[in-house]
Order: sequence, then C-alpha cells, then structure tokens
Amino acid sequence: MRKVIRLIDQLVAGTLMLAMTLILLTVVWQVISRYILQDPASVTEELSRFLLIWIGLLGAAFAYRQKVHLGFNLIVEKQSELVRKYILTLVELLVITFCATTLLFGGSQLVSLTLELEQISAALGIRMGYVYVVLPVSGLLLIWYGLINIHNLWLADEEGAL
Amino acid sequence: MDYTALVLVVTFFLLLILNVPISFSIGIATLVAMLMSIDFTPAVTTIAQRMAGGLDSFALLAIPFFVLSGMIMGRGGIAKRLINCALALIGSLPGGLALVNVVSCMLFGAISGSAVATTSAIGSFMLPEMKKQGYDENFSAAVTAAASTTGMLIPPSNILIVYAIASGGVSIAALFMAGYLPGVMVGLALMMVCFIHAKRKGYATADRLPLKVVVQQVGAAIPSLFLIFLVIGGIVGGIFTATEAGAIAVVYSLILAVGVYREVKPKQLPDILLKSAETTAIVMLLIGASTAMSWMLSYANIPQNISAFMLEVSDNPIVILLLINLLLIVVGAFLDMTPAVLIFTPIFLPVAAELGMSPLQFGIMIVLNLSIGLCSPPVGAVLFITCAIAKTRLDKIIRPLLPLYVAMFVVLMLVTYVAWFSEALPALFGV
Repeated sequence: MRKVIRLIDQLVAGTLMLAMTLILLTVVWQVISRYILQDPASVTEELSRFLLIWIGLLGAAFAYRQKVHLGFNLIVEKQSELVRKYILTLVELLVITFCATTLLFGGSQLVSLTLELEQISAALGIRMGYVYVVLPVSGLLLIWYGLINIHNLWLADEEGAL
Repeated sequence: MDYTALVLVVTFFLLLILNVPISFSIGIATLVAMLMSIDFTPAVTTIAQRMAGGLDSFALLAIPFFVLSGMIMGRGGIAKRLINCALALIGSLPGGLALVNVVSCMLFGAISGSAVATTSAIGSFMLPEMKKQGYDENFSAAVTAAASTTGMLIPPSNILIVYAIASGGVSIAALFMAGYLPGVMVGLALMMVCFIHAKRKGYATADRLPLKVVVQQVGAAIPSLFLIFLVIGGIVGGIFTATEAGAIAVVYSLILAVGVYREVKPKQLPDILLKSAETTAIVMLLIGASTAMSWMLSYANIPQNISAFMLEVSDNPIVILLLINLLLIVVGAFLDMTPAVLIFTPIFLPVAAELGMSPLQFGIMIVLNLSIGLCSPPVGAVLFITCAIAKTRLDKIIRPLLPLYVAMFVVLMLVTYVAWFSEALPALFGV
C-alpha cells in the first residue's frame, strides 16, 4: 500500500515539474520566436494556457496532499482531540463529496460532452475533451488523498502516517 | 430576492469555521446554492466547466512565472542583497532596522509578484536580525506582515493581473503603473509609524556606514534591481506582455541566482519548480472556484440587486464609496484576496463606475483595501507566515498591528477620494 501511495505521489510531483518546465520553455520560445526569429509561433499561447489548467488542477491535488491550502483553523484547534478528529473527518468527507460530484462526475460529463461535440482547439487542433480530462483525474486524486487523510486521522497511531 | 445569496453566505461561513480549505468552501457553497435552482447534472457540469474555464487565460500565466521567479530570488541571495542595500541607505535612522524591513519588502515586492514570497524572503532575514538588535519581536512581525502587502500594489503584481481579468479588460500595463504611487505611499506611511514607535521606545540607532561601503552595497543590489527595468520597462514599453515579462523574469533570476551569485544549486531546481507549482495551484484553485461562484452570483442576478440596493441607500458618492470600503474590509478579513477580487469586482465596480470612478482607480482601491485583510485575522495568509517565522502567536501581534492598520487606512482613503494618485503615472507614461 505504502509503495502504491509513494508511486502516485511521485507521479503527480513529476508531472507537475515537467509541466512547469514546459510552460516556461513555451513562453520563452514565444518571445524568442517573435523577436529574434521574426516568426511568431502560433501554438505556444494555447499550449501554455492548457498547461496552466493542468498545473492548476493537478497541483491542487498535490497541495491537498501537502495540506497547504489556505484555511481557518483557529476554532477547530481549540477543540478536544476527539472532537477535532470528528470535525476533520467531516471536512474530508465534504471535500470528497465535492470532488466526487463536481470534479469527477461533472468533469467527466464535460469531457464526454466536448468529445461528442468534437470541440477542437483553435491553434493546436487537439480535442478540448483531452484538456478537460484533468478535471476527473484531479477529482480522483483528491478523493484518494482525502481517504488517506481520514485513515491517518484514525489509524495512523500504530503504523505511522501514510 | 430569493434565498440564494443567504444560503451561499451561510454555507460558506459554516464550512470556513469547520476548517474546510477556502477554495473548497467556495466550491461547495456554490454547488449548494446552485442546486436550489438548477438540476444536479447541469449544475456540476457547469461548475466543472467554469473552474477549468476560469484558468484558461494567457494573462493568468504570469502568476506561475512571478511565483517561480520570486522563489528563485528568495533562495538565491537576492533578498539579502536588497536588504544590505536598504541597510546602507537608511539603516542609521531611528528605528533603522524597521525602516529597512519596510523598504526591503517594497523592493522585493517590486521584483516579485507576491506578498507571500516577500514575507518569507524578507522576514526570514530581517526578523532574527531585528530581534538581535533588541526590537520587540511582535512589533517586528507586525511590520513585516504589513509591509509585505505593498508588493500587492507595486508591480509586478499577481493580484492586479487577476483584477485585470475580473474587470473585463483594464490594461495590465496601466494597472501596473497605477500601483506604484499608492504602493510607495503605503510604504512611507508604515515607515512613519515605525519611526515614531522607535523614537518612543528609544531603540539604539546604528552608526552610519562609510561612503565606500554604501556605494559597494548599493552596487551589489543593482543587478537585482535591474529586473524592475527589464520587467516593467518591457511591459510599459509594449515590448512584451505581462506573461512574457514573467517568463523573462524567471530566466533573468535563474541566471543571477544560479550563474552569477551561485547561491542556488542546479540540483535544487526540481524542488523549486515543484514548490512553485504548488503555490500556483493554490491560487489557481481559488481562481477556478471563485469563477464558478461569480458565474452563479450573476446567474441569480445578485450583483445587480446589490448595486441597485446601494444606490438606493444613498446618492452621496462619498458615503457609498466609504460603505463599499468598509464592506470590503470585512470581506478581506474572511476571504483570501484572489477570490475577493474575482467575486466582488463584478458586484462593486458597476456601482463605483456609476459614481464616476474609473475601473483603473477602482482596481487600485480594491487591492489596497484587501491588502489590509491580507495582514489581519482571522484569514490573513501573510499574517500566518510572519507568525511562523517570528515564532510568535497571532493574538500577540494584533496590538502592534493597530497603528499600521490606521496608516494603511489613511492611504486607502486618499486613494479612494483622489483619483490623481492612481491615474497620474499611467497618464504620464501613456498606458
């Protein structure tokens, strides 16, 4: 289990680093192609926009794993250990519900809808459905990490946090 | 009016109190409110589409770049050189270190786009140093938190880019030029508070450094400060867009930190990339969720209702603008800046426009206003970071923050009622 979790973590981190490098190279190339080669590249703007959507949503799952999303914990911190555990479990369940309905189900709907309509991006000519695939993917990852968080809340004492 | 707005606000606050992350609180509250009038499948599909669509913008791309360059500069010894430069110039004044803190935050804000990057880069240097020199640590933390918000106005600024999108097309170059003067005014106002505080506490002042050292320290900071000319000059001169300027800032700071100063090792780069992606994603999820909420609000006609209501309450521009500011201060205390700008610009901008305020001035006003919220409890990102660095508690830095809030509020009033402060520089540069 631990191995699977680590593999997924590394896969997400690796994808993010790659996307971040690519997005930088893309925009630098855009400037170079316009000013130095006098031949503006047309695909770079669209490619970098799509990469940003991927970084934003995939990174959101990564940030959830790292527990760095902004929140307001002053009231929860004041509760007793047990109450705190119940509240935090409820929070995870709420996030999981949102991700399952909106990102996973809603996102999948969007993907199949745009694939059906054969919506094609203007410059790259790829199907928009492929860009939106990151919505259900990120939804799945967030649910996964939410479940790990619940596990860590209640069962991590003996074997250490996953 | 139906109960949509009420359900939205109550759900949001309940979730916030439970410690649901803000972005998810926004998303869930939007979903709940939407389900009151839209069927399940179209509702979730619309939210998913708005969330992805909200990120689909070339202008927003500047944000990961300014985050990345801020992070490289924070680790690459650039913050240290800016501090030394400020120290050489004003370190010998009463309250010198506090003044240096403010100026360093302004300079760092002028080369990076984010307050959070500024807080951690400057705070981790200045706070231990101020403690060593006998400054009260809670006061030092308060100064760092307040001063790092000047970077919100001093360009390049990520939040001004977000505003440019929310307002539907105010030019980023104009916003960037407009931010300088109010940003510097906030800095000066904060420095005045520091000066008075230091005089009253009788903090020891440092000796003036010999001229040779001053010249040397300022010289060492010039390559870092050159970035300002590169980025802002390029944008204002129309040579490249804000996004492209961001990418160039990354390349320049990489060359400086890895190649010239050699304080960042190439093997640290993957980690820097990952951390930047993480910070970017936090902002992007906020933007995506806020875009969905903003869509839902306008679907329920809420912005129109609020502006009609406000214009009914009073027809005195001074009163209405004050009312907007007070409401925004409350909003800023609970909501992070990015969602606050995305959600409340469509609500209040039409009202302000009705009263004759330009979208440019409104942008500077809302960002300055929300900057106060950024360093005030309960939800102030900058405040938490400063507390963590200063190893102090939130409730202890509230008191030293109070006079700093007053200083910021005075500047806010000036910016609200005198258009010149926001509009002079953009007019001068013709952007």
